[in-house]
Amino acid sequence: MDRPPPSPLLLMLLADARLPTAGHTQSAQLEPATVWGLGVSEVADFIALRLRTVTRVEAATAVVAMHHLRAGLDVAEVEAAWAARTPSPAMRATSRQMARALRRLVCRLWPESPHLAVTGPGASRAVVLAVAADSAGLAPRDLAMLVGYDDVQTVASAALKLLPLDPADVACWVLDALAAVDALATEVAPLTLPSAIPAAGAPQIEAWAESHAVTSRRLFNA
Amino acid sequence: MPDSPTRSLRVGVCGPVGTGKSSLIALVCRELAAELRLGVVTNDIYTDEDARFLRSAGVLDPDRIRSVETGACPHTAIRDDITANLMMVEDLEADFDPLDVVLVESGGDNLTATFSPALVDTQIFLIDVAGGGDVARKGGPGITRADLLVVNKTDLGPHVGVDPDQMVVDASAVRDGRPVIALSRTDPASVTALTDWLRRQLASHRTGDLTPADPGPMAPHSHGDEPSHTHGQGDDAHHHDHAHV
Ligand SMILES: Nc1nc2c(ncn2[C@@H]2O[C@H](COP(=O)(O)OP(=O)(O)OP(=O)(O)O)[C@@H](O)[C@H]2O)c(=O)[nH]1
Ligand SMILES: [Mg+2]
Repeated sequence: MDRPPPSPLLLMLLADARLPTAGHTQSAQLEPATVWGLGVSEVADFIALRLRTVTRVEAATAVVAMHHLRAGLDVAEVEAAWAARTPSPAMRATSRQMARALRRLVCRLWPESPHLAVTGPGASRAVVLAVAADSAGLAPRDLAMLVGYDDVQTVASAALKLLPLDPADVACWVLDALAAVDALATEVAPLTLPSAIPAAGAPQIEAWAESHAVTSRRLFNA
Repeated sequence: MPDSPTRSLRVGVCGPVGTGKSSLIALVCRELAAELRLGVVTNDIYTDEDARFLRSAGVLDPDRIRSVETGACPHTAIRDDITANLMMVEDLEADFDPLDVVLVESGGDNLTATFSPALVDTQIFLIDVAGGGDVARKGGPGITRADLLVVNKTDLGPHVGVDPDQMVVDASAVRDGRPVIALSRTDPASVTALTDWLRRQLASHRTGDLTPADPGPMAPHSHGDEPSHTHGQGDDAHHHDHAHV
């Protein structure tokens, strides 16, 4: 077999919003936040809040899941730890739906992955990202950066649809958030135990996710 | 994408806002629900209006009508990243196995939006007489190359000063023999023409003779004596600086 592509390139592939995984349908709760009244000047804080809370849970879950996959341990325990730390049913449903979209793609990109079989259709997005990252040969830190970066970009691109603003301003927010993404990755990269996944909820974001799930007016799925 | 040969026929319905996509789907359901096992996926732009309209029309079990959010990208959802729609179609097929036909309504978009052949097996493009008699002549991938072009609301012709027959003639002129149906829900013969077309598509799907075709973003054209071709797609892309004829 040819030498696999170097992992930095594979990290870029997985971080690319053009990946066909229905990313354009997601606002990472920015839409319900703006409906509630969140303004342009608060989006950077919203991004920072996510990185300290829900995204931190997802990044840690992904890292611990990849450790379990690579060590041949059962990921069910990781799934349970993630679910216990994700109290919003709407957010769990969204994660599983995004996981399904990603899993379809992983089945095409890396059909030989031994982990596709153990992460079925009900898997969370963090766990399926771990499967992808494992096939891409990513280090735990890369995987955590991927989760953080993807979340920041999801909010940023949804902001361009929801709040009228200069796209260059949005790129500046992303740049400004990178230090926090880096810190998050440093914090969660060494984790191996499900019990070590931080339980960092964000009740307001969870409430927005719940209200969005039942509204009849929305642009984004979540 | 490997597909089972027995999976449903997936039919795309697209066209500009308000041309009658939801109404056409309701009509098909009303006419064929007793004969075929149907499912519907709508791509709502902002509200769940389309899905609700269809559910309230009472022509199909409400659970067979699902909606997809497109994140303000209706075009993307049916063409470049079809993942959300494909998953919804597969859910319907799994929940109501076996289905004969799944109709997918695009979010009302502009004249250039068409479905990817990776999402639907065949597609209907709608325009209506109320949109003006010149729309058919404007062309665009849907008008010229969708599997079926429907000129809808012919009953409104006299009220908007448009001759539906002329629209059909104009549309046929750019369609290279592909079918055009002048439709009105008040004209039973036109409704029969539509349902007959759908039955024929289903029959060719079942025999494996239906090859999904891309209406494409670009119109094929010819350079005088060369064979016609398109530009800008894959290997066909090339640079040229001469005028087209
Ligand atoms: N007169 C007449 N009106 C029609 C016909 N078909 C649809 N309409 C009307 O056209 C309007 C728009 O129809 P819809 O079916 O909602 O159109 P649509 O393409 O689904 O619209 P969007 O989803 O908003 O893009 C409605 O008021 C329908 O009642 C027809 O055959 N004749
Ligand atoms: Mg409609």
